[in-house]
Amino acid sequence: MAGTIVSDTLQDGSGNSTATTNAIKGSAKAWVTVNGTLSSGMTLASYGVSSVTYISSCLYQVSFSTAFTDANYSSAVSSSWDSGGNSYPMIANIANNGTYAPSTTSTYIVSRVYNNGSTGFLVNYLYAIFFR
Amino acid sequence: MTQVIIHTNDNGGVSVTVPTGELSIDAVKTKDTPAGSIIVDSSTLPQGADAKFFDAWVLNGSTVSVDLTKAKAFANTMLNGMAKAEVSHRTTNAGIGVENKLSDADWLALLTTARTAISSATTTQQLLDALTPVQSAITANA
Repeated sequence: MAGTIVSDTLQDGSGNSTATTNAIKGSAKAWVTVNGTLSSGMTLASYGVSSVTYISSCLYQVSFSTAFTDANYSSAVSSSWDSGGNSYPMIANIANNGTYAPSTTSTYIVSRVYNNGSTGFLVNYLYAIFFR
Repeated sequence: MTQVIIHTNDNGGVSVTVPTGELSIDAVKTKDTPAGSIIVDSSTLPQGADAKFFDAWVLNGSTVSVDLTKAKAFANTMLNGMAKAEVSHRTTNAGIGVENKLSDADWLALLTTARTAISSATTTQQLLDALTPVQSAITANA
């Protein structure tokens, strides 16, 4: 049933309460977890994300199911690469220039293997969360 | 089997869009990919060692394959990246008096062998095999 509840405060059964704005502004508007690779099969768990595009081994695009009102959302991303039983740490960050600047509909994640300088392999795990 | 959407990107490589399932794949194709993109079964994408060289994938019609020349270039880039990191590590070891597992001469010989193997490779598996001893040596010396 569609409807709207208007309240400035939320309270649980134990009497703990918080301002409704905390729930609205403090909740993730979108997130995605990618587990696996294109070849071995993957699972994606998500909310508010319509797709993940592999552009290169170090560049990924996350597209949102519903566009943000602007591109001033905050995000946290991470990734890792698993090879031969070793899970290598990777640097992951949001691209933020030119073609790859965040937009209301998608954002780009750059990810590179950290510990041995190598590039060229896809990440096995990619995690991203977005707040606004 | 999972369906994905593919297209040739501005870099000449293949972009692969994986829908999360929140929207239909047709809706994702319209919203998230450029005109001319096609829907394929993920099982048709390169498998095994070929899958490792994503940056060397090329799209012909609806078939994705590996460009071996590109794959070799990426293998050399990977090798050089690993070598630079290891040289930095070995320099640090020398500065603090820690002996490396391989002598400098053996390390350089290992790199030469890898470069030769990459140059003569005819499959992506051979490229991976060329990199493995170098990776193992770096791991052993960490």
